[in-house]
Amino acid sequence: MLTRQNLITYLVALFIILTLNFFLPRMMPGNPIIAIYGDVAVVQMSPELEAELTERFSLDQSLGNQFISYWTALFQGDLGYSYAYNAPVTEVIFGRLPWTLLLAGLALIVSTTLGILLGIESGWRRGRRLDRSLLSGMVAISGFPDFLLGLLLLLLFAVNLQLLPLFGAENAYSGLSGFQRLMDIAKHLLLPLVTLVLARVGGDYLLTRNAMIGELKEPYILLARAKGLKQGTIRYRHAGRNSLLPIMTRTSILLGLMVTGVLFVEVVFSYPGIGFTTYEALTYRDYPLLQGLLLVSTFCVLTANFIADLLYSRIDPRVNYAH
Amino acid sequence: MYIKKSLQFVLALLLSLVLLISPACTSTSTAPSMVQSYVIADPTGDWGYPSPYLRYARGPGYIRSSFIFDTLIWRDKSNFTPALAKEWSYDEAENAYTFKLQENAVWHDGTPFTAEDVAFTVEYLKKHPDPFVTLVGPSGISRAEVVDDHTVKLYLESKYAPFLYEVAGTMVILPEHIWKSVDNPMSFDSPETVIGTGPYMLVDYNKAQGTYLYKSYDNYYQGKPIADQIVFVKVSDEMVTSALIQGEVNAASILPEMVDNMKASDFTVISCPYGWCAKLTINHKKEPLNDKRFRQAMAYAIDRQSMVDITQRGHAIPGSQGLLPPNNRWYNPNIEQYNYDPDKVRQLLGELGYELNNDGYLSKDNKILELELITQTAYGFKDVGQFIKDNLEDVGIKTNLIVLEGKSLDAKVETWDFDISIYGHGGLYEPSILPKIITGQGFNSARYTSNDRLNRVLEDQLHEMDPDARLQMVQGAQALYAEDIPAITLYYPDWYWAHDGKIDIYYPDEGVASGIPIPLNKSAFVGK
Repeated sequence: MLTRQNLITYLVALFIILTLNFFLPRMMPGNPIIAIYGDVAVVQMSPELEAELTERFSLDQSLGNQFISYWTALFQGDLGYSYAYNAPVTEVIFGRLPWTLLLAGLALIVSTTLGILLGIESGWRRGRRLDRSLLSGMVAISGFPDFLLGLLLLLLFAVNLQLLPLFGAENAYSGLSGFQRLMDIAKHLLLPLVTLVLARVGGDYLLTRNAMIGELKEPYILLARAKGLKQGTIRYRHAGRNSLLPIMTRTSILLGLMVTGVLFVEVVFSYPGIGFTTYEALTYRDYPLLQGLLLVSTFCVLTANFIADLLYSRIDPRVNYAH
Repeated sequence: MYIKKSLQFVLALLLSLVLLISPACTSTSTAPSMVQSYVIADPTGDWGYPSPYLRYARGPGYIRSSFIFDTLIWRDKSNFTPALAKEWSYDEAENAYTFKLQENAVWHDGTPFTAEDVAFTVEYLKKHPDPFVTLVGPSGISRAEVVDDHTVKLYLESKYAPFLYEVAGTMVILPEHIWKSVDNPMSFDSPETVIGTGPYMLVDYNKAQGTYLYKSYDNYYQGKPIADQIVFVKVSDEMVTSALIQGEVNAASILPEMVDNMKASDFTVISCPYGWCAKLTINHKKEPLNDKRFRQAMAYAIDRQSMVDITQRGHAIPGSQGLLPPNNRWYNPNIEQYNYDPDKVRQLLGELGYELNNDGYLSKDNKILELELITQTAYGFKDVGQFIKDNLEDVGIKTNLIVLEGKSLDAKVETWDFDISIYGHGGLYEPSILPKIITGQGFNSARYTSNDRLNRVLEDQLHEMDPDARLQMVQGAQALYAEDIPAITLYYPDWYWAHDGKIDIYYPDEGVASGIPIPLNKSAFVGK
């Protein structure tokens, strides 16, 4: 429910998080200039070059000055310059973000939908054959870490059967366009998507199933049956809808973790995205890029929470009276 | 009502799908089709826009720009070869190199290449430093003189022996007509930045996907390139052998374990001339490590052949204690290598007053000898650390092993807050690396300046223009270093690339340009 108090709470949270975003990267040990150029053993940084780089990235300014310029830049939409990637931070992040949104977003939608549907069906048929097999299957799959699932799928479908591509988001420079290009992207997306869906669906399924089992015990379900409503209507419109609340919570949490959650899948499938970028930014102590990435993450989490708040009252009006 | 709502939902989903894909679509607007292309795989993918100031300051970044930009001279397998300069000579009296330039070299936009471009590049690089070439200081050029349209004379700051290797063979020449109006090269990213004289031109660079597309420049002054197109794609190490076998990729670096597999599948496997080493860095400012006998004892205590067999599964060779590897033409074969000898360890440590106590640890004046070994997880150094700990404890030196993340380890070493630590670095081709990693102040260096003779010879060899005299000095330096052993060279790992033979790529003996250990030498693509 959107109230002024709610909004203020979110803004305060945003401010605190953004301030922490500024300090945390700077608390890690290691001089960023040496971190970047250290590996190139042949290159002995001349003092002039080191001075120029320090000045360019304001690393010698006092912490206070850096903090002020951080906030001024934020308001201007300038997220700084990434010295690891030699490009503005906005360019680095937003160049790769669409791919992560495509993969992680789609995976979230598919796994949640699938988890809900299977959970509802399973809860409805509790104890019977479908439920037992689904339950054991889901528990087994959710035991696998996502990169292992990815590797297995890749080995089977790309290496052995050669049905699907080995790497990339699309065939590089293949000259495809329009529908053919969409199909190419879809082919490359399939295995990473299936990996992420399989890794996540177990959780949604179990939550929904449990909530379903609880709901089905309620007196109103008995009434619905007595009224002679169709099985499907009872399952979905009544019991199913009321089981959605825990899923809402879980989904909004997962939305926030979306950005970093795809790291292993990106590595295994050589898929572009900001998961691996985050890892590299950490390795290089690239403060501006780290701040930009954390900002994107923060934004995702807060937005997800906000949407969840709005949707709660639609799904279960009782929460309005809890205030 | 529900049906309408779910239909709305599905429509919204499809719409968002289209919206999500469209940014990806617009990122490569002119994607040409594949014709006679050579595909190279790389696990990282993105190494920056391949122009002189936007490429990443690492080997692969330089390589990607080297197809577009030329240097004055280049190198094939073992010798300097003409590039933009067809002939060159050195005048000792004036301490200057004269380069006679190619007369038919043309920039990709059609402007002819002249000596003005070289002179301009020298001045520009002095104002806007390039991480790969240092033009101020001992390796510097004091001035560039345009003798005529196709002759340029470079006067050096000092007599600098590796000038051809480090400067003439590494410094890319910039087109004056484009760069003279660029005040801030770091923010200059228009298509004009990739106008060079090289055999290939950039068609596309996709940062997010880590792909590059080059097309051949048929008017190249050394002849039409063999491949019409070069493509770089990002492929993880696990999948690269499958990609090679399935024909998706023509060349890639492979793990040593895959060598036999690749050879059996009819691929050519080439191995890198050793240029990278793993080292045990020692804090020689601290007791008892400040005594060279103690360091020598440690060298005798570490069984490097066994380390190679166990931690590197045989894919390496033990390090030489003169730093330079055996295949290097400056290598000194007659230095002490401290081959594994526990008796010598006991003897040396006994001289220093250490005796084994009841627990099996060495101690002196009732204090147990204890060392802290810090290592990192990268390069498999955790196993190496464990191995060294076992070796040292076998001779009675109590060792505490601490594993740190890379940059945290760097921070401790930089401030001398350590006893011994494990490091790796490359560049072991040209002896100019030796002062950088022995007396230099970088944390990769031993930072050892207590031996005046060693300091002097390291400095002198940089300025000795006679190769035979210089060889004597470099070999002398290795002997002195091995005697004092401020750091212990552990091993040189084997590195391999596999390719399908379409183009005969090779590793130059001393790396590409200033020692980059990657077999992507553009000469191979022009049939040289």
